[in-house]
Amino acid sequence: MTRPPNAAAPLVEVSQVRKSYGSHEVLKGIDLTVYPGEVVALLGSSGSGKTTLLRCVNLLENPSSGRIAIDGSPIFDRAADGHDNARISGRDVAAMRSRVGMVFQQFNLFPHMNVLANVMEGPRTVLGEDDATNRARALDLLAKVGMSDFADRMPGRLSGGQKQRVSIARALNMRPSLMLFDEPTSALDPELVGEVLNTMITLAREGMTMLVVTHELGFALEVATRVVFLDQGAICAQGTPQEVLLHPTNERVRTFVNRFHATAELMRPLLQT
Amino acid sequence: MFDWSVITQNAHLFAWGLVVTLEYTVITCVLGLIIGLLIALVQLSPIKALRVVGRLFVEFFRNVPLLVWLLWSYYALPIFAGINISKQAAGILALSLYGGAYYAEILRAGIQSLDHGQADAAKALGMRSWQAMRRIILPQAFRQMIPPLAGQTIIQMKNTTLLSVLTVPDLLYQASYVSSFTYRPMEVYTVVGIIFLVILIPSNYLARRLEMNSQ
Ligand SMILES: Nc1ncnc2c1ncn2[C@@H]1O[C@H](COP(=O)(O)OP(=O)(O)O)[C@@H](O)[C@H]1O
Ligand SMILES: [Mg+2]
Repeated sequence: MTRPPNAAAPLVEVSQVRKSYGSHEVLKGIDLTVYPGEVVALLGSSGSGKTTLLRCVNLLENPSSGRIAIDGSPIFDRAADGHDNARISGRDVAAMRSRVGMVFQQFNLFPHMNVLANVMEGPRTVLGEDDATNRARALDLLAKVGMSDFADRMPGRLSGGQKQRVSIARALNMRPSLMLFDEPTSALDPELVGEVLNTMITLAREGMTMLVVTHELGFALEVATRVVFLDQGAICAQGTPQEVLLHPTNERVRTFVNRFHATAELMRPLLQT
Repeated sequence: MFDWSVITQNAHLFAWGLVVTLEYTVITCVLGLIIGLLIALVQLSPIKALRVVGRLFVEFFRNVPLLVWLLWSYYALPIFAGINISKQAAGILALSLYGGAYYAEILRAGIQSLDHGQADAAKALGMRSWQAMRRIILPQAFRQMIPPLAGQTIIQMKNTTLLSVLTVPDLLYQASYVSSFTYRPMEVYTVVGIIFLVILIPSNYLARRLEMNSQ
């Protein structure tokens, strides 16, 4: 991998995670470790289990079995026979989530609150932070994602790209040590993809640890420290973006990359703006 | 044909009856909403046994005629609840429970119709489920639910007239009392009908306005 395991304690440790919906096994024993500062791009064709894996990391979805630890704390541990080896309370799970930011494909902004209130909501409700500190930081974050002029807007009156930048600011305002992204640009008109990717690139360059499900191969090549390729619920290839994407040895990855080759070429100029 | 003097001479009885009707409408609506919210949350609980209880509650009240239920409560509830509850109070509780079942259905549907992404986003920030409910889910669900809740509240006001059979001195009870000694039921019940129309037609109009504003 890109870092020797003893350089730092892992931030995410997923081991032998399986997930079934009825008789359909969606994740087939996933092992994935993410170290602080890594930007891991999670790739794979539609239906390969990327979203499910990402949602298992912050337990929006409970695995059928396997172990998950975040920042050294075990947060899920269920044996193959369904026996829970660890009793983890709802409070512990919520506390873990408060340190893990998540950005959704459909933004999921709170439509009954304006942009600033959306960004302030997490610290206000979850941490009970006072409004003055919270507001100052929220405004800084809105400036950072280029949304300062929209603090008073309701989400319904924003473009998709603007919504996604607000949702990134909302997640960052909890000061997470890890950010999860689930296809953050897939619901956007092509001309709005760049503004969101640029925000994410800035974040990655600042050293944020990120686990990103994406179809933007340009982004993966540009900023990912590691690419993990999922196929039918199993990791079938991983390594540096150059290894995995430019010199794919795996047949699945080669097919996938060829299909996206044209798009990846098109992404390059966008990334430089 | 119409002799309006029976109305004017007994206006104070009608006025008093109207006050009681409005009072009971407010009480049974507030209690009904609280019961409804409780039952809606029970129906959405992750615990199956609770969901079944909630379902049974709603099905019971949707399928038993209100008048039958009220009469049964009038005679049976004070026995079950002990001597501390008056027959009128039993009637109010019965009507609140009945309304609660309908409010529960409205609230449950409103909460369930909300995009799952909203709960996901709230949980992902670290909210406990009650925090997500209070800050994210209910404020949005209530907004959508204002029109059906207003509609149910209007039905609830009309239903309070049934309390008169339990000797609650509401508008209808006063009317039948006036009618019993004036022998002018036509005038008396015409006035009762008009009073309800005068109150409820503007209320309906207001509910529709709210519906348009919430969209
Ligand atoms: N809640 C669910 N119930 C049943 N099947 C599901 C559910 N969520 C996802 N799946 C199935 O799991 C598989 C993987 O889904 P997903 O993780 O969304 O894939 P991806 O994000 O890679 O497109 C798909 O076949 C999908 O139909
Ligand atoms: Mg997906």
